[in-house]
Amino acid sequence: MNLEKFRSLSWADFFLYSLIDPRALYRRVKQKDPDAFWISFIVPLFESLSGILLLSLLGRESAFFYYKISYGWILVFLFTFIKILIYTSLVDVAAQFSGLKGNIRELITLMNFSMLPALFVLPAAYPFIVGDFVPLFFYVLFSLACFIWHILIIVQSISEMHTIEFGRAFLIYLMPAVVTGIILLLTGIMLVINTAGYISTFM
Amino acid sequence: MERERKLTVAILAMLILVAVIAIVDISFKIEEKRSREIKLVMPDTGAGVGIVRVEGPIELSAPSGPFGLPSGAESIVKRLDALAKDSSIKAVVIRINSPGGTVAATQEIYEKIMKLRKKNIPVVASMGDVAASGGYYVAAACNHIVANYGTVTGSIGVIAYSPNLRRLFDKFGIQMNVIKSGKYKDILATHRDMTSEERALLQEMIDSSYGKFVKDIAAGRNMSESDIIKIADGRVMSGSTALQNKLIDQTGTFEDAVMKARELASLDEDSPVYEESTSPFNEIFGQLNRFMGNRNMPGSGMLYPVYKLEYRYMQ
Repeated sequence: MNLEKFRSLSWADFFLYSLIDPRALYRRVKQKDPDAFWISFIVPLFESLSGILLLSLLGRESAFFYYKISYGWILVFLFTFIKILIYTSLVDVAAQFSGLKGNIRELITLMNFSMLPALFVLPAAYPFIVGDFVPLFFYVLFSLACFIWHILIIVQSISEMHTIEFGRAFLIYLMPAVVTGIILLLTGIMLVINTAGYISTFM
Repeated sequence: MERERKLTVAILAMLILVAVIAIVDISFKIEEKRSREIKLVMPDTGAGVGIVRVEGPIELSAPSGPFGLPSGAESIVKRLDALAKDSSIKAVVIRINSPGGTVAATQEIYEKIMKLRKKNIPVVASMGDVAASGGYYVAAACNHIVANYGTVTGSIGVIAYSPNLRRLFDKFGIQMNVIKSGKYKDILATHRDMTSEERALLQEMIDSSYGKFVKDIAAGRNMSESDIIKIADGRVMSGSTALQNKLIDQTGTFEDAVMKARELASLDEDSPVYEESTSPFNEIFGQLNRFMGNRNMPGSGMLYPVYKLEYRYMQ
Protein backbone atom coordinates (compact mmCIF):
# COMPACT_ATOMS: atom_id res chain seq x y z
CA MET A 1 0.00 0.00 0.00
CA ASN A 2 1.61 3.25 -1.12
CA LEU A 3 1.30 6.66 0.51
CA GLU A 4 -1.39 7.81 -1.87
CA LYS A 5 -3.61 4.87 -0.91
CA PHE A 6 -2.90 5.46 2.74
CA ARG A 7 -3.94 9.11 2.48
CA SER A 8 -7.12 8.18 0.63
CA LEU A 9 -8.21 6.34 3.80
CA SER A 10 -9.65 3.53 1.74
CA TRP A 11 -8.14 1.09 4.23
CA ALA A 12 -10.44 2.55 6.89
CA ASP A 13 -13.38 0.92 5.08
CA PHE A 14 -12.43 -2.47 6.48
CA PHE A 15 -12.71 -1.22 10.06
CA LEU A 16 -15.86 0.73 9.30
CA TYR A 17 -17.65 -2.21 7.66
CA SER A 18 -16.51 -4.56 10.42
CA LEU A 19 -18.56 -2.47 12.81
CA ILE A 20 -21.57 -1.48 10.75
CA ASP A 21 -21.98 -4.01 7.95
CA PRO A 22 -20.04 -7.31 8.04
CA ARG A 23 -21.53 -8.41 4.72
CA ALA A 24 -20.17 -5.29 3.08
CA LEU A 25 -16.86 -6.06 4.77
CA TYR A 26 -16.54 -9.30 2.86
CA ARG A 27 -17.42 -7.58 -0.43
CA ARG A 28 -14.82 -4.91 0.32
CA VAL A 29 -12.18 -7.52 1.22
CA LYS A 30 -12.90 -9.33 -2.05
CA GLN A 31 -12.12 -6.18 -4.05
CA LYS A 32 -8.49 -6.35 -2.81
CA ASP A 33 -8.11 -2.61 -3.09
CA PRO A 34 -5.98 -2.44 -1.00
CA ASP A 35 -5.22 -6.03 0.01
CA ALA A 36 -6.80 -6.42 3.43
CA PHE A 37 -4.87 -9.54 4.48
CA TRP A 38 -1.89 -7.84 6.13
CA ILE A 39 -3.88 -4.81 7.29
CA SER A 40 -6.23 -7.15 9.17
CA PHE A 41 -3.42 -8.26 11.52
CA ILE A 42 -3.49 -4.80 13.08
CA VAL A 43 -6.64 -5.89 14.90
CA PRO A 44 -5.25 -8.97 16.74
CA LEU A 45 -2.08 -6.97 17.43
CA PHE A 46 -4.03 -4.27 19.26
CA GLU A 47 -6.43 -6.82 20.74
CA SER A 48 -3.40 -8.44 22.44
CA LEU A 49 -2.31 -5.05 23.77
CA SER A 50 -5.81 -4.26 24.96
CA GLY A 51 -6.03 -7.60 26.80
CA ILE A 52 -2.70 -7.05 28.56
CA LEU A 53 -3.68 -3.53 29.59
CA LEU A 54 -7.06 -4.62 30.89
CA LEU A 55 -5.64 -7.44 32.99
CA SER A 56 -2.91 -5.12 34.30
CA LEU A 57 -5.46 -2.48 35.23
CA LEU A 58 -7.65 -5.05 36.97
CA GLY A 59 -4.76 -6.76 38.76
CA ARG A 60 -1.95 -5.51 40.96
CA GLU A 61 0.48 -3.22 39.21
CA SER A 62 4.12 -4.17 39.50
CA ALA A 63 7.32 -3.55 37.56
CA PHE A 64 6.60 -6.81 35.75
CA PHE A 65 4.16 -4.76 33.67
CA TYR A 66 7.06 -3.44 31.58
CA TYR A 67 7.92 -7.01 30.57
CA LYS A 68 4.26 -7.73 29.82
CA ILE A 69 3.91 -4.67 27.62
CA SER A 70 7.09 -5.45 25.64
CA TYR A 71 7.95 -9.16 25.39
CA GLY A 72 4.52 -10.14 26.66
CA TRP A 73 2.79 -8.24 23.86
CA ILE A 74 4.80 -10.12 21.24
CA LEU A 75 4.07 -13.48 22.89
CA VAL A 76 0.37 -12.79 23.33
CA PHE A 77 0.14 -11.64 19.71
CA LEU A 78 1.86 -14.80 18.51
CA PHE A 79 -0.51 -16.87 20.64
CA THR A 80 -3.52 -14.99 19.23
CA PHE A 81 -2.18 -15.40 15.70
CA ILE A 82 -1.79 -19.17 16.15
CA LYS A 83 -5.22 -19.38 17.75
CA ILE A 84 -6.79 -17.55 14.80
CA LEU A 85 -4.87 -19.67 12.32
CA ILE A 86 -5.99 -22.95 13.90
CA TYR A 87 -9.61 -21.96 14.42
CA THR A 88 -9.94 -20.44 10.95
CA SER A 89 -8.47 -23.60 9.43
CA LEU A 90 -11.03 -25.66 11.32
CA VAL A 91 -13.86 -23.38 10.18
CA ASP A 92 -12.61 -23.69 6.61
CA VAL A 93 -12.49 -27.48 6.93
CA ALA A 94 -16.01 -27.42 8.37
CA ALA A 95 -17.16 -25.33 5.39
CA GLN A 96 -15.57 -27.76 2.95
CA PHE A 97 -17.24 -30.67 4.77
CA SER A 98 -20.51 -28.85 4.21
CA GLY A 99 -19.82 -28.87 0.47
CA LEU A 100 -18.62 -25.28 0.28
CA LYS A 101 -15.48 -23.93 -1.35
CA GLY A 102 -12.43 -23.39 0.88
CA ASN A 103 -11.15 -19.84 1.17
CA ILE A 104 -8.66 -19.70 4.03
CA ARG A 105 -6.92 -16.43 3.13
CA GLU A 106 -10.10 -14.38 3.09
CA LEU A 107 -11.43 -16.23 6.12
CA ILE A 108 -8.33 -15.28 8.13
CA THR A 109 -8.80 -11.66 7.08
CA LEU A 110 -12.44 -11.73 8.17
CA MET A 111 -11.60 -13.48 11.42
CA ASN A 112 -9.02 -10.78 12.19
CA PHE A 113 -11.45 -7.93 11.49
CA SER A 114 -14.19 -9.65 13.45
CA MET A 115 -12.06 -9.19 16.57
CA LEU A 116 -12.39 -5.42 16.29
CA PRO A 117 -15.16 -5.14 18.95
CA ALA A 118 -12.70 -6.55 21.52
CA LEU A 119 -10.78 -3.25 21.23
CA PHE A 120 -13.78 -1.42 22.69
CA VAL A 121 -13.66 -3.34 25.98
CA LEU A 122 -10.79 -1.16 27.23
CA PRO A 123 -12.44 2.26 26.70
CA ALA A 124 -15.77 0.87 27.89
CA ALA A 125 -14.46 -0.70 31.10
CA TYR A 126 -11.81 1.94 31.84
CA PRO A 127 -14.15 4.43 33.59
CA PHE A 128 -15.37 1.64 35.90
CA ILE A 129 -11.78 0.63 36.68
CA VAL A 130 -10.77 4.24 37.41
CA GLY A 131 -13.92 4.77 39.47
CA ASP A 132 -13.41 1.38 41.14
CA PHE A 133 -17.07 0.60 40.52
CA VAL A 134 -17.32 -3.22 40.24
CA PRO A 135 -14.69 -3.18 37.47
CA LEU A 136 -14.50 -6.97 37.14
CA PHE A 137 -18.24 -7.24 36.55
CA PHE A 138 -18.19 -4.62 33.81
CA TYR A 139 -15.06 -6.12 32.28
CA VAL A 140 -16.81 -9.51 32.01
CA LEU A 141 -20.03 -7.87 30.81
CA PHE A 142 -18.34 -5.88 28.04
CA SER A 143 -16.16 -8.82 27.08
CA LEU A 144 -19.23 -11.01 26.66
CA ALA A 145 -21.02 -8.33 24.66
CA CYS A 146 -18.01 -7.87 22.40
CA PHE A 147 -17.64 -11.63 21.99
CA ILE A 148 -21.25 -11.86 20.80
CA TRP A 149 -20.60 -8.93 18.47
CA HIS A 150 -17.51 -10.74 17.15
CA ILE A 151 -19.59 -13.86 16.45
CA LEU A 152 -22.20 -11.78 14.63
CA ILE A 153 -19.52 -10.20 12.43
CA ILE A 154 -17.77 -13.43 11.49
CA VAL A 155 -20.98 -15.41 10.96
CA GLN A 156 -22.44 -12.71 8.68
CA SER A 157 -19.16 -12.54 6.80
CA ILE A 158 -19.13 -16.32 6.32
CA SER A 159 -22.75 -16.14 5.25
CA GLU A 160 -21.86 -13.52 2.63
CA MET A 161 -18.70 -15.36 1.56
CA HIS A 162 -20.47 -18.64 0.78
CA THR A 163 -23.84 -17.07 -0.05
CA ILE A 164 -25.57 -19.18 2.59
CA GLU A 165 -28.15 -18.33 5.22
CA PHE A 166 -27.14 -17.06 8.65
CA GLY A 167 -28.07 -20.28 10.52
CA ARG A 168 -25.89 -22.50 8.35
CA ALA A 169 -23.01 -20.06 8.59
CA PHE A 170 -23.43 -20.09 12.36
CA LEU A 171 -23.23 -23.92 12.41
CA ILE A 172 -20.08 -23.85 10.29
CA TYR A 173 -18.52 -21.38 12.65
CA LEU A 174 -19.65 -23.31 15.74
CA MET A 175 -18.76 -26.81 14.53
CA PRO A 176 -14.99 -26.61 15.21
CA ALA A 177 -15.70 -25.32 18.71
CA VAL A 178 -18.11 -28.21 19.41
CA VAL A 179 -15.77 -30.82 17.93
CA THR A 180 -12.77 -29.38 19.78
CA GLY A 181 -14.80 -29.27 22.98
CA ILE A 182 -15.86 -32.91 22.65
CA ILE A 183 -12.29 -34.00 21.87
CA LEU A 184 -10.95 -32.08 24.86
CA LEU A 185 -13.64 -33.53 27.12
CA LEU A 186 -12.89 -37.10 26.04
CA THR A 187 -9.14 -36.48 26.33
CA GLY A 188 -9.69 -35.12 29.84
CA ILE A 189 -11.77 -38.15 30.86
CA MET A 190 -9.17 -40.53 29.44
CA LEU A 191 -6.39 -38.62 31.18
CA VAL A 192 -8.20 -38.87 34.53
CA ILE A 193 -8.86 -42.60 34.04
CA ASN A 194 -5.24 -43.26 33.04
CA THR A 195 -3.85 -41.19 35.91
CA ALA A 196 -6.11 -42.92 38.43
CA GLY A 197 -5.09 -46.32 37.02
CA TYR A 198 -1.41 -45.38 37.14
CA ILE A 199 -1.65 -44.17 40.73
CA SER A 200 -3.65 -47.24 41.82
CA THR A 201 -0.79 -49.53 40.70
CA PHE A 202 1.32 -48.06 43.53
CA MET A 203 -1.34 -48.71 46.18
CA MET B 1 -18.05 8.20 2.38
CA GLU B 2 -15.09 10.40 3.07
CA ARG B 3 -16.78 11.56 6.26
CA GLU B 4 -17.33 7.99 7.50
CA ARG B 5 -13.74 7.09 6.78
CA LYS B 6 -12.52 10.07 8.78
CA LEU B 7 -14.86 9.11 11.58
CA THR B 8 -13.47 5.55 11.56
CA VAL B 9 -9.92 6.87 11.69
CA ALA B 10 -10.95 9.11 14.58
CA ILE B 11 -12.40 6.10 16.42
CA LEU B 12 -9.22 4.10 15.82
CA ALA B 13 -7.14 7.04 17.02
CA MET B 14 -9.31 7.24 20.11
CA LEU B 15 -8.70 3.55 20.81
CA ILE B 16 -4.95 4.06 20.50
CA LEU B 17 -5.16 7.11 22.74
CA VAL B 18 -7.00 5.13 25.42
CA ALA B 19 -4.31 2.44 25.24
CA VAL B 20 -1.57 5.06 25.65
CA ILE B 21 -3.44 6.64 28.59
CA ALA B 22 -3.77 3.19 30.19
CA ILE B 23 -0.03 2.53 29.80
CA VAL B 24 0.84 5.91 31.32
CA ASP B 25 -1.69 5.36 34.12
CA ILE B 26 -0.27 1.95 35.02
CA SER B 27 3.31 3.28 34.85
CA PHE B 28 2.44 6.16 37.20
CA LYS B 29 0.80 3.76 39.63
CA ILE B 30 3.86 1.51 39.59
CA GLU B 31 6.21 4.45 40.18
CA GLU B 32 3.97 5.72 42.98
CA LYS B 33 3.98 2.28 44.58
CA ARG B 34 7.75 2.05 44.19
CA SER B 35 8.34 5.42 45.82
CA ARG B 36 6.20 4.28 48.75
CA GLU B 37 8.02 0.96 49.08
CA ILE B 38 11.60 2.09 48.56
CA LYS B 39 12.89 4.18 51.38
CA LEU B 40 16.37 5.55 51.24
CA VAL B 41 18.13 4.12 54.26
CA MET B 42 21.56 5.46 54.98
CA PRO B 43 23.90 2.82 56.38
CA ASP B 44 24.96 3.36 59.95
CA THR B 45 28.49 4.64 60.23
CA GLY B 46 30.76 5.80 62.99
CA ALA B 47 31.33 4.78 66.57
CA GLY B 48 28.49 2.75 68.03
CA VAL B 49 27.27 -0.24 69.99
CA GLY B 50 27.57 -3.82 68.75
CA ILE B 51 24.87 -6.34 69.57
CA VAL B 52 25.49 -10.01 70.29
CA ARG B 53 22.63 -12.42 70.84
CA VAL B 54 22.84 -15.51 73.04
CA GLU B 55 19.67 -17.44 72.32
CA GLY B 56 18.63 -20.88 73.54
CA PRO B 57 20.79 -23.56 75.12
CA ILE B 58 24.48 -22.75 74.97
CA GLU B 59 26.48 -25.50 73.35
CA LEU B 60 29.66 -25.65 71.38
CA SER B 61 28.13 -28.42 69.27
CA ALA B 62 29.96 -29.10 66.01
CA PRO B 63 32.62 -26.67 64.76
CA SER B 64 30.19 -25.84 61.98
CA GLY B 65 26.78 -26.98 60.93
CA PRO B 66 25.92 -29.12 57.91
CA PHE B 67 25.88 -26.01 55.71
CA GLY B 68 29.26 -24.77 56.90
CA LEU B 69 27.84 -22.02 59.08
CA PRO B 70 29.22 -21.65 62.60
CA SER B 71 26.71 -22.54 65.27
CA GLY B 72 26.29 -22.34 69.04
CA ALA B 73 28.93 -20.80 71.27
CA GLU B 74 31.42 -20.80 68.42
CA SER B 75 29.40 -18.30 66.42
CA ILE B 76 28.99 -16.08 69.50
CA VAL B 77 32.74 -16.11 70.13
CA LYS B 78 33.37 -15.30 66.47
CA ARG B 79 30.91 -12.41 66.64
CA LEU B 80 32.61 -11.07 69.77
CA ASP B 81 35.98 -11.42 68.03
CA ALA B 82 34.71 -9.49 65.02
CA LEU B 83 33.36 -6.72 67.24
CA ALA B 84 36.65 -6.51 69.15
CA LYS B 85 38.51 -5.98 65.87
CA ASP B 86 36.03 -3.41 64.57
CA SER B 87 37.29 0.08 65.33
CA SER B 88 33.79 1.56 65.22
CA ILE B 89 32.56 -0.67 68.06
CA LYS B 90 33.02 1.22 71.31
CA ALA B 91 30.66 -0.87 73.45
CA VAL B 92 28.88 -4.21 73.26
CA VAL B 93 25.45 -5.28 74.44
CA ILE B 94 24.91 -8.99 74.92
CA ARG B 95 21.26 -9.90 74.70
CA ILE B 96 20.80 -13.13 76.68
CA ASN B 97 17.76 -15.34 76.40
CA SER B 98 19.13 -18.68 77.50
CA PRO B 99 18.62 -21.27 80.26
CA GLY B 100 22.36 -22.00 80.18
CA GLY B 101 24.26 -24.83 78.61
CA THR B 102 27.41 -26.86 78.70
CA VAL B 103 30.26 -25.85 80.97
CA ALA B 104 32.91 -25.56 78.27
CA ALA B 105 30.77 -23.54 75.86
CA THR B 106 29.70 -21.13 78.59
CA GLN B 107 33.26 -20.66 79.77
CA GLU B 108 34.44 -19.92 76.23
CA ILE B 109 31.95 -17.06 75.97
CA TYR B 110 32.76 -15.85 79.49
CA GLU B 111 36.48 -15.70 78.73
CA LYS B 112 35.90 -13.89 75.45
CA ILE B 113 33.82 -11.22 77.17
CA MET B 114 36.50 -10.79 79.81
CA LYS B 115 39.04 -10.21 77.04
CA LEU B 116 36.80 -7.47 75.62
CA ARG B 117 36.64 -5.85 79.04
CA LYS B 118 40.43 -5.94 79.23
CA LYS B 119 40.50 -4.06 75.93
CA ASN B 120 38.44 -1.35 77.64
CA ILE B 121 35.33 -2.14 75.59
CA PRO B 122 32.40 -1.88 78.00
CA VAL B 123 30.07 -4.88 77.82
CA VAL B 124 26.48 -4.68 79.03
CA ALA B 125 24.25 -7.71 79.48
CA SER B 126 20.55 -7.44 78.69
CA MET B 127 18.48 -10.33 79.97
CA GLY B 128 15.36 -11.48 78.15
CA ASP B 129 12.87 -14.12 79.32
CA VAL B 130 15.47 -16.38 80.87
CA ALA B 131 19.12 -15.83 81.71
CA ALA B 132 19.66 -18.56 84.25
CA SER B 133 22.62 -20.72 85.20
CA GLY B 134 25.00 -20.63 82.20
CA GLY B 135 22.96 -17.70 80.88
CA TYR B 136 23.77 -15.83 84.06
CA TYR B 137 27.40 -17.05 83.89
CA VAL B 138 27.73 -15.21 80.56
CA ALA B 139 26.05 -12.11 82.00
CA ALA B 140 28.36 -12.14 85.01
CA ALA B 141 31.32 -11.46 82.70
CA CYS B 142 29.82 -8.13 81.65
CA ASN B 143 30.51 -4.73 83.22
CA HIS B 144 26.84 -4.05 83.77
CA ILE B 145 23.77 -6.29 83.89
CA VAL B 146 20.26 -5.12 82.99
CA ALA B 147 17.32 -7.48 83.49
CA ASN B 148 13.59 -7.12 83.16
CA TYR B 149 11.49 -7.37 86.32
CA GLY B 150 10.15 -10.71 85.16
CA THR B 151 13.38 -12.20 83.85
CA VAL B 152 14.08 -15.66 85.27
CA THR B 153 17.68 -15.66 86.40
CA GLY B 154 19.96 -17.18 89.03
CA SER B 155 20.00 -21.00 89.11
CA ILE B 156 23.70 -20.86 89.92
CA GLY B 157 24.89 -24.42 89.96
CA VAL B 158 26.07 -27.39 87.94
CA ILE B 159 24.11 -30.43 86.90
CA ALA B 160 24.74 -33.76 85.23
CA TYR B 161 22.07 -36.33 84.73
CA SER B 162 21.24 -39.57 82.99
CA PRO B 163 18.14 -41.79 83.17
CA ASN B 164 18.33 -45.05 85.06
CA LEU B 165 16.57 -47.60 82.86
CA ARG B 166 17.70 -50.71 84.73
CA ARG B 167 14.21 -51.73 85.77
CA LEU B 168 12.89 -51.16 82.27
CA PHE B 169 15.68 -53.30 80.87
CA ASP B 170 14.93 -56.00 83.44
CA LYS B 171 11.24 -55.92 82.57
CA PHE B 172 11.93 -56.57 78.92
CA GLY B 173 14.83 -58.92 79.58
CA ILE B 174 17.36 -56.74 77.84
CA GLN B 175 20.99 -57.16 78.79
CA MET B 176 23.85 -54.99 77.63
CA ASN B 177 27.19 -56.47 76.62
CA VAL B 178 29.79 -54.02 77.87
CA ILE B 179 33.48 -54.49 77.18
CA LYS B 180 35.46 -51.70 78.79
CA SER B 181 39.05 -50.79 79.48
CA GLY B 182 38.42 -49.33 82.94
CA LYS B 183 35.76 -49.40 85.62
CA TYR B 184 34.62 -45.85 84.97
CA LYS B 185 34.38 -46.12 81.17
CA ASP B 186 30.58 -46.49 81.22
CA ILE B 187 30.10 -44.11 84.09
CA LEU B 188 26.71 -42.73 83.05
CA ALA B 189 25.38 -46.01 81.68
CA THR B 190 21.61 -46.11 81.67
CA HIS B 191 21.17 -49.88 81.97
CA ARG B 192 22.45 -50.20 85.54
CA ASP B 193 22.55 -48.36 88.85
CA MET B 194 25.34 -45.90 89.43
CA THR B 195 27.94 -47.08 91.93
CA SER B 196 28.94 -44.95 94.92
CA GLU B 197 32.46 -44.59 93.51
CA GLU B 198 31.10 -43.30 90.22
CA ARG B 199 28.83 -40.92 92.05
CA ALA B 200 31.75 -39.61 94.08
CA LEU B 201 33.83 -39.10 90.95
CA LEU B 202 31.08 -37.16 89.21
CA GLN B 203 30.35 -35.17 92.34
CA GLU B 204 33.97 -34.10 92.39
CA MET B 205 33.66 -32.86 88.83
CA ILE B 206 30.44 -31.07 89.62
CA ASP B 207 31.97 -29.45 92.70
CA SER B 208 35.00 -28.36 90.71
CA SER B 209 32.84 -26.78 87.99
CA TYR B 210 30.63 -25.20 90.64
CA GLY B 211 33.70 -23.71 92.34
CA LYS B 212 34.81 -22.24 89.05
CA PHE B 213 31.29 -20.88 88.46
CA VAL B 214 31.20 -19.12 91.82
CA LYS B 215 34.75 -17.82 91.43
CA ASP B 216 34.05 -16.44 87.96
CA ILE B 217 30.83 -14.77 89.09
CA ALA B 218 32.63 -13.21 92.02
CA ALA B 219 35.35 -11.96 89.67
CA GLY B 220 32.89 -10.65 87.12
CA ARG B 221 30.59 -9.03 89.66
CA ASN B 222 33.38 -7.82 91.89
CA MET B 223 31.83 -9.57 94.89
CA SER B 224 33.18 -11.98 97.47
CA GLU B 225 32.75 -15.72 96.88
CA SER B 226 31.07 -16.08 100.27
CA ASP B 227 28.35 -13.63 99.22
CA ILE B 228 27.75 -15.60 96.06
CA ILE B 229 27.64 -18.98 97.77
CA LYS B 230 24.78 -17.79 99.99
CA ILE B 231 22.50 -17.69 96.97
CA ALA B 232 24.29 -20.16 94.69
CA ASP B 233 22.17 -23.16 95.65
CA GLY B 234 20.44 -23.51 92.30
CA ARG B 235 17.55 -21.20 93.20
CA VAL B 236 15.92 -19.20 90.45
CA MET B 237 14.80 -15.65 90.97
CA SER B 238 13.11 -12.80 89.17
CA GLY B 239 14.92 -9.73 87.94
CA SER B 240 13.82 -7.67 90.93
CA THR B 241 15.01 -10.32 93.45
CA ALA B 242 18.29 -10.61 91.57
CA LEU B 243 18.72 -6.86 91.98
CA GLN B 244 18.24 -7.18 95.74
CA ASN B 245 20.87 -9.94 95.78
CA LYS B 246 23.18 -7.76 93.69
CA LEU B 247 23.31 -10.34 90.90
CA ILE B 248 22.28 -7.59 88.48
CA ASP B 249 22.86 -3.84 88.41
CA GLN B 250 19.51 -2.52 87.28
CA THR B 251 16.14 -3.53 86.01
CA GLY B 252 15.21 -2.32 82.57
CA THR B 253 14.72 -3.13 78.94
CA PHE B 254 17.01 -3.88 76.03
CA GLU B 255 16.92 -0.18 75.10
CA ASP B 256 18.04 0.71 78.61
CA ALA B 257 20.95 -1.69 78.18
CA VAL B 258 21.92 -0.01 74.89
CA MET B 259 21.71 3.42 76.53
CA LYS B 260 23.89 2.20 79.39
CA ALA B 261 26.45 0.84 76.90
CA ARG B 262 26.52 4.25 75.18
CA GLU B 263 26.96 5.94 78.53
CA LEU B 264 29.82 3.65 79.56
CA ALA B 265 31.55 4.21 76.21
CA SER B 266 30.85 7.96 76.30
CA LEU B 267 28.94 7.73 73.04
CA ASP B 268 26.19 10.06 71.83
CA GLU B 269 22.61 9.11 72.62
CA ASP B 270 21.88 8.55 68.92
CA SER B 271 25.05 6.66 68.10
CA PRO B 272 24.43 3.70 65.80
CA VAL B 273 23.61 0.20 66.95
CA TYR B 274 25.21 -2.58 64.93
CA GLU B 275 23.00 -5.64 64.87
CA GLU B 276 24.21 -9.02 63.71
CA SER B 277 24.03 -9.20 59.93
CA THR B 278 21.05 -11.18 58.74
CA SER B 279 21.25 -11.59 55.00
CA PRO B 280 18.44 -13.65 53.46
CA PHE B 281 21.00 -16.33 52.58
CA ASN B 282 22.18 -16.58 56.19
CA GLU B 283 18.59 -16.55 57.42
CA ILE B 284 17.61 -19.53 55.26
CA PHE B 285 20.76 -21.56 55.80
CA GLY B 286 20.93 -20.56 59.46
CA GLN B 287 17.47 -22.01 59.97
CA LEU B 288 18.42 -25.19 58.15
CA ASN B 289 21.65 -25.30 60.11
CA ARG B 290 19.82 -25.13 63.41
CA PHE B 291 17.22 -27.61 62.21
CA MET B 292 19.79 -30.14 61.03
CA GLY B 293 22.16 -29.48 63.90
CA ASN B 294 19.51 -30.07 66.54
CA ARG B 295 18.40 -33.40 65.17
CA ASN B 296 19.33 -36.42 67.24
CA MET B 297 18.80 -40.00 66.33
CA PRO B 298 15.92 -41.45 68.36
CA GLY B 299 17.12 -42.95 71.58
CA SER B 300 20.77 -42.28 70.84
CA GLY B 301 21.25 -40.37 74.05
CA MET B 302 19.43 -43.00 76.02
CA LEU B 303 21.60 -46.02 75.35
CA TYR B 304 24.85 -44.18 74.79
CA PRO B 305 24.93 -41.36 77.33
CA VAL B 306 26.34 -38.02 76.30
CA TYR B 307 28.66 -36.85 79.03
CA LYS B 308 27.51 -33.35 79.76
CA LEU B 309 28.13 -31.16 82.73
CA GLU B 310 25.83 -28.24 82.44
CA TYR B 311 25.31 -24.85 83.94
CA ARG B 312 21.66 -25.11 83.19
CA TYR B 313 18.30 -24.13 84.56
CA MET B 314 16.08 -27.21 84.19
CA GLN B 315 12.65 -25.97 83.07
